[in-house]
Amino acid sequence: MIVRVRIVHAIFKKEMTDTLRDRRTLVFMLLVPIAAIPLLLMALSSLMTSQIAKEMERVSEVVVQGLEYLPDTLRSELIGSDDLTVVSETQYRAENPTANSDITEDLRLGGFDVLMVVPKAFDRAIEIESPTEIELFYDEAEMKSEFAVSKIKTVLDPYRERIIQARLDQRDISGDIIRPFEIVSENVASMQKVAGEKLGAMLPYLIIIMCFMGAMYPAIDLAAGEKERGTLETLLVSPATRGEFVVGKYLVILTTGITAAILSMGSLTFSLNYMLEDIVGKMNVGRMLAIEFDTSTVILILMIVLPLAGIFAAILLSVSIFARSFKEAQSYITGIYMVLILPAFVSFLPGIEMSYRMALIPIVNVSLIIKDAISGQVEWNYVITAFVSTIVLAALTLVAARKWFERESVLFRM
Amino acid sequence: MIIAKDLCKTFKDKKRGTVRAVDNVSFECKNGEVFGLLGPNGAGKTTTLRLLSTSLKPTSGTATICGTDAKTQPEKVRSLIGFLSGNTGLYGRLTAREMVAYFGKLYSMTKPEIDKRIDILFTMLDMHDFADGRNDKLSSGMKQKVSIARSVIHDPPVMIFDEPTTGLDVMSSRTIVKFIRQCRDAGKCVIFSTHIMSEAMRLCDRVAIIHNGRIFADSTPTDLLAQTGTDNLEDAFIKIVGE
Repeated sequence: MIVRVRIVHAIFKKEMTDTLRDRRTLVFMLLVPIAAIPLLLMALSSLMTSQIAKEMERVSEVVVQGLEYLPDTLRSELIGSDDLTVVSETQYRAENPTANSDITEDLRLGGFDVLMVVPKAFDRAIEIESPTEIELFYDEAEMKSEFAVSKIKTVLDPYRERIIQARLDQRDISGDIIRPFEIVSENVASMQKVAGEKLGAMLPYLIIIMCFMGAMYPAIDLAAGEKERGTLETLLVSPATRGEFVVGKYLVILTTGITAAILSMGSLTFSLNYMLEDIVGKMNVGRMLAIEFDTSTVILILMIVLPLAGIFAAILLSVSIFARSFKEAQSYITGIYMVLILPAFVSFLPGIEMSYRMALIPIVNVSLIIKDAISGQVEWNYVITAFVSTIVLAALTLVAARKWFERESVLFRM
Repeated sequence: MIIAKDLCKTFKDKKRGTVRAVDNVSFECKNGEVFGLLGPNGAGKTTTLRLLSTSLKPTSGTATICGTDAKTQPEKVRSLIGFLSGNTGLYGRLTAREMVAYFGKLYSMTKPEIDKRIDILFTMLDMHDFADGRNDKLSSGMKQKVSIARSVIHDPPVMIFDEPTTGLDVMSSRTIVKFIRQCRDAGKCVIFSTHIMSEAMRLCDRVAIIHNGRIFADSTPTDLLAQTGTDNLEDAFIKIVGE
C-alpha cells in the first residue's frame, strides 16, 4: 500500500495542532521534563543540608580507653566540651552491662560514636617529650561517627599546638620555623559525593521515563481518543489509507516523546552547570559527579534516544488503538510503564557493565549507554550494537503497528 | 448508485461462536432515491453500511458503488461516499473550519477547492458565525452541522447515514432530516438506517426490512402497508418478520 507524503503531512499537521491545544499533553511534554530535574535537585540539596546540620548539632558520644592517662587539662577540656559526652570504658561498661567484650564491636553496632584509645603513661610521655599517639576508632559509614572525629580534633589539635608552642618557647625558637606555609583545605562531606553519584545514575532513567511520558498522552488521544469521540469511523471511510494514518500519528507521538527527552536533557545540562554549583559551593561539580556533559555527549544521547522513542511511539499507538476508551488505554499504558521502569532502572545498579549481550537488550542498552556517555566512557562497538538493535526493533514495532491497524477486530473493538 | 449482492459478514465471537451479522443481503439504491434499512438494534444495519463504506470487508458477496467494487478498490469507493452517523463526533480542540478542511485534505482536495467548498457549505448550513470557534464550545445543533459539512466536503454522489438521528434532540434531528432531503433533491443516492419506523415512513422512497442479518422485504412504504394490510410500519414490521 502506498503512503502519500501529502496526506501524511496533512494528518501530522492536524494532529500536532490538536495535541498542542491539549493542556494535559503540554504538561507532560513541556512542563514535567523542564521542571522535574531542577525540583529534584532542589529537594535533594535541602534534604542534604538539613541532614548535615542535624548531625552537626548532635552531641557525640565518646568512649575513652585510658581516660586516666590523659593530662588533666586535656581531660577537663574534653569533658567540658559542649559537643561531646566523654565517658571512660569502665563507666560505659557499667552503664551498658550487655556491652561486647570487644568494645569496637559496640562501636560498629552504633552504641557510641568514637572510641579513643590513650596509651599507658601518655601524660608522662608528653612530659618527657617522648613520641606517643592517641588512636581514634570510628565508623566511616556513619556520618555521625565522622562528625564526632572532627569534633574531637577541634579539642586535640589546639592542645597539641599549645604543647608545640611551649616546647619551642623553652628552646627560644620562633613558631614560624615549623610552619613554612599554611595548607588551607576544606572537607568535602562524603554525603554530597554519594548524592552526586546517585544523581549520575538517575539521569538515564529520567531521560527514558520523560521520553515515555511525553509520548503517552498524545498516543492515548490520537487512537483511543478517536474511538471515544466517534471520529475513527469517519477516518476509516475517508480515502486516506490505514498506513497513512499510522505514519502520521506515529510521527506526532514520536515528536512529543523526543521533545520531552530533549527538554529534560536541556534542563539537566542547565541544572548541573548552574544550580548544582550554587548548592554545593565552589567545588568542581563536574569532577565530583563524574559527569561529562558537553555537546557531543548530548548528541550521542539524542541519537540513541531517537530510535527508543520510535519503539515507544509504535507500542503506545498499538495499545491505544486496541483500547475501547481513553480510560482503558490509560490503564494498559500504566501497566507498560511499570514494566518499562525495570530495565530503565539498570543504570542505578553499580555492578552491571556494558557487554554485547547487554547492548542487545532493549531499554537496558539505552540506559547503560547514557550512563557511560555522561561519565565519558563511550565504547563505540557497544554504542553501534545498541543503536542498530534499537533501530531494528523500532522498525519492527512500526510494521507491527501498521498491520495491527488493518485488523477489523482491533478497529471496531467497541 | 449502490448495488449490494449476496453480502455476507461473519464475526468470531468468544461466547457465541461464529456470528452471521449480515446474511445474503442484496438490494439496489438508485440516484435521487432515499433507501431505508429498517430494523431493530442488532439487526445488521450498521454492519451492512460498514460493508458498503469499506470500513469492513465482506466475508462473501459484492458491494458496488457507482460501478466501483468495494472490495478491490476501497480507496476509490471511499472518495465516492459521504458518511454520517448519530454518534460520529468532532475534534473538540479544532475549529469547524479546521476540521472540515482536514477532511478535504484527506480527500486529496487542493487548498482553493477546499476554501471554495467550505464557503458554499457554511453558507448553506448557516455556519459562518461559529466557523472559527472551538468545536467543544458548540451547541449540539451546531455540532451536527459541522458533522454534515464534514461528510459532504468532497461532494460525493452517494451518502450513507447510519442511525443519523439517534441520540439527537428535536432541532438537531430536523437539521439532519432536512439535509437528507436536500441530498436526494440534488440527485444523490442516499441510504440510511434507522430503528424508528415513523422516520422511515416519512423519509424513505423505498424501505428494506432487516432482521437477524437478513432482508425480509424491500419495497415502498405504502406497498409494505398494503401487502401486510396494516396502517403503520410497526405492525407491518412485526407481521413481516413473523414474531
